[in-house]
Amino acid sequence: MNERQLKLNLFIYPGGHHEAAWRRPDSSIERVLDIGYYQDLARRAEDEKLDAVFLADGPSLADNIRYASRFRLEPFTWLAGIAAVTSRIGLIGTASTTYLEPYNAARLFASLDHLSKGRAGWNIVTTGAPDAAYNFGLDGHPVHAERYDRAREFVDVVTQLWDSWEDEALVADRASGVYADPGLIHEIDHVGRHFRVRGPLNTPRTPQGRPVYVQAGSSEDGRSFAASYAEAVFTAHQTLDSAQEFYGDIKRRAAGLGRDPAQLLVLPGISPYIGSTEAEARALKQELDELTQPAYSLHLLRRLLGVDLSGHDLDAPFPRELVALDGDRAESSRSRLVVDIVDRERPTIRQLLHRFAGARGHWVVAGTPEQVADRMTEWFTQGAADGFNVMPPWLTGGFDVFAEQVLPILRRRGLFREEYTGSTLRDHYGLPRPTSGYTAPVARERNLA
Amino acid sequence: MNDRRMLHLNAFLMSTGHHEASWRLPESDPYANTDVRHFQRLAQTAERGRLDSIFFADSPVLWGDVGRRPAGSLEPTVLLTAIAAATTRIGLIATASTTYNDPFNLARRFASVDHVSGGRAGWNVVTTAGPAAARNFGLDDQPAHRDRYERAAEFLQVAYQLWDSWDDDAAHADKTAGIWADQEKVRPIDHVGTHFRVAGPLNLPRSPQGRPLIVQAGSSEDGKDLAARYAEAVFTAQQTLADAQGFYADLKRRTASVGRDPDTLKILPGIVPVIADTEIEARRREQELDDLIRPEYARAQLAQQLRVRPEDLPLDRQLPADLPDEDEIEGAKSRYTLIVELGRREKLTVRQLIGRLGGGRGHRTFSGTPEQVADAITDWFDAGAADGFNIMPAVLPSGLEAFVDHVVPLLVRRGLFRAEYTGTTLREHYGLARPANGYADLPSQAVTA
Repeated sequence: MNERQLKLNLFIYPGGHHEAAWRRPDSSIERVLDIGYYQDLARRAEDEKLDAVFLADGPSLADNIRYASRFRLEPFTWLAGIAAVTSRIGLIGTASTTYLEPYNAARLFASLDHLSKGRAGWNIVTTGAPDAAYNFGLDGHPVHAERYDRAREFVDVVTQLWDSWEDEALVADRASGVYADPGLIHEIDHVGRHFRVRGPLNTPRTPQGRPVYVQAGSSEDGRSFAASYAEAVFTAHQTLDSAQEFYGDIKRRAAGLGRDPAQLLVLPGISPYIGSTEAEARALKQELDELTQPAYSLHLLRRLLGVDLSGHDLDAPFPRELVALDGDRAESSRSRLVVDIVDRERPTIRQLLHRFAGARGHWVVAGTPEQVADRMTEWFTQGAADGFNVMPPWLTGGFDVFAEQVLPILRRRGLFREEYTGSTLRDHYGLPRPTSGYTAPVARERNLA
Repeated sequence: MNDRRMLHLNAFLMSTGHHEASWRLPESDPYANTDVRHFQRLAQTAERGRLDSIFFADSPVLWGDVGRRPAGSLEPTVLLTAIAAATTRIGLIATASTTYNDPFNLARRFASVDHVSGGRAGWNVVTTAGPAAARNFGLDDQPAHRDRYERAAEFLQVAYQLWDSWDDDAAHADKTAGIWADQEKVRPIDHVGTHFRVAGPLNLPRSPQGRPLIVQAGSSEDGKDLAARYAEAVFTAQQTLADAQGFYADLKRRTASVGRDPDTLKILPGIVPVIADTEIEARRREQELDDLIRPEYARAQLAQQLRVRPEDLPLDRQLPADLPDEDEIEGAKSRYTLIVELGRREKLTVRQLIGRLGGGRGHRTFSGTPEQVADAITDWFDAGAADGFNIMPAVLPSGLEAFVDHVVPLLVRRGLFRAEYTGTTLREHYGLARPANGYADLPSQAVTA
């Protein structure tokens, strides 16, 4: 058994990650609004000893739902429903620092951590979809840098709220009638550029102290934010080189801030297509690609690159000269990733659409179980990943194949756990339980000053 | 099943019970507040009694005196979702503030609870009184009472439109054609009002109940007007039959005057039943609980509610004559008046008043045998004072078990309460129709109550 172990999350997308996978006869599209479907998936992932399940989110509806089930599961409630039927697996929900209030976000995650007995994680996003602004009374999407400025203050406030009850605050002495020691429950009195929050939180300190901090943007602002705050980073890379560059950079940045780089896990997405031969795996991918609707795929591409290619010959080379990333797109790591594919591989429009249909820019691997395990092992041992967000092309079958055929190989190599050794998400990720900032001597002095 | 009017019973759950000293009893778990199993068991008990629903109060602030009684709880929508997984029929009503939430986030969360629970969600709409909550959201003081209620009304208008923004049959997932949803059956709401601008649509298909059940719990003039327009159930604190009859008649009249069938609004006063085999034993039980209250702390809280200093309230004297009028109070108006009138009407000393309020914070406490409790409920129900009751056990879980096992069977025998559930959704339990989609036959954007 190797000391360093893979961290593996199941990234749940309602109909599977391939945009047309829901059209497979055996897809579970009929159940995508049924909590039982997600509870079954999470139990399945827990049986396989995965670290966590993860739900992406954004507070707006994708503007093209004709061809794909792009509604959103509300993460707090959906994860609470999953928490009720599982006991070990971590529960990572996405929540926007741009469109929530820190007090509400802190409370919701604290509640999820309590009711799951320490399994909550927060994927901190600033929300990339510009449409969300119009659901919250704004005239336009706040610019990238401004969103990250708010995100930093937001996370600081939430952290203080989570710390506002020290661990020893609850006394519960029936005889004297003292329930809590108010001296150990603190107003945070935060006054900043974006927020003024008095506190304390109205929920006692949680089993993990603080839910796990996850971050998922790989732009310059995103990297800098992750180095400061994140304990796990979700990221999209197409090549080993790119993933290694990111991995090295983010670990260096974290170390530069005085953090232990081992406590910032880098978890790229991987969407595995598995067959008994490589050709069979590629055929599986091809079969799904042929189910895509070009109108939908072109729409997604227009969102990312700002070019409308409807009317173009799909089998002509992708017109690279039409792409000029500006505004938020210039900052977006995902837009950059797509342009890099074009520059590197010179695909036709259709090839790019298929490339992107698989997992929206995440790493797609098609091969035998051995080949998939080899590639994962390579990234894990070559300084590109501490683990992966597993993104099955279709659900639930796509996960079953991965679990039945790839996980045993990784276990045989001593790279993935046979059993859970802890009960919280922090335990699974090998992260310490933080002490309340109000309990640490330095912070206490500051607080009394 | 007969045709006569039937009672609606809701179990109002709160930590170890509604009596503020209940946590000090040997039978109580003082850490119950953050234990999801405690609440799941309570919900299962309520469901065993075929009650309509369970309910949690909430406020985005640490309220009450945490030194003296359990405070700090789990966020109710998240908690109720975890409870949904452990129950199948009982309705799930969560309190949430229109003053300290965004309509998009909250409408979405309630739609989600409705999906996850299979149509059992209810929302107790509150405007959140008091400056302390305001200070957790960047404000120095609470918005004025009238402003809070105007915002609440607009908030509900936005929520209705968001819930209706998907036609019930919008998503049909035609695998062969590759069409997931009819884009034209999902539409923006483009709401522009005084407090909100929300484009929509919601990012979740229409929920099983169409809209969650709307509950309202403030009894001020503004509160009653809001209830008459929007509420489908009203929780209220009434100390005497005459007061309850007056409130009932007034609210039903207001409901009719806005063009609604008064029967579509169910009025449920609170009752704190202390149940024992004999009346003497029940009274002894109530006294035993009151004796566990620490009067010096309780007096401080009463003084805060009455806007006076604690030293103005000698424990063994009646309330002072020179208290402010309700009109001068900005928050929790109706409860203020109730407390003052209770003290004056029954010529209670401050110590006695504290005992009465410690049991139910202004709700009616009733000690007696199961027969006597059933009689008390039947009397009000038959006398035009209630459509049902908000059951607030002084001690949990034992008080709820006693009610379900000993009082409910009497009400069933009298033909006043269901022996079995006849529906699966909360609306069905309350005898309310599933709302038609406001957009279904309307070309205009004006979807209202």
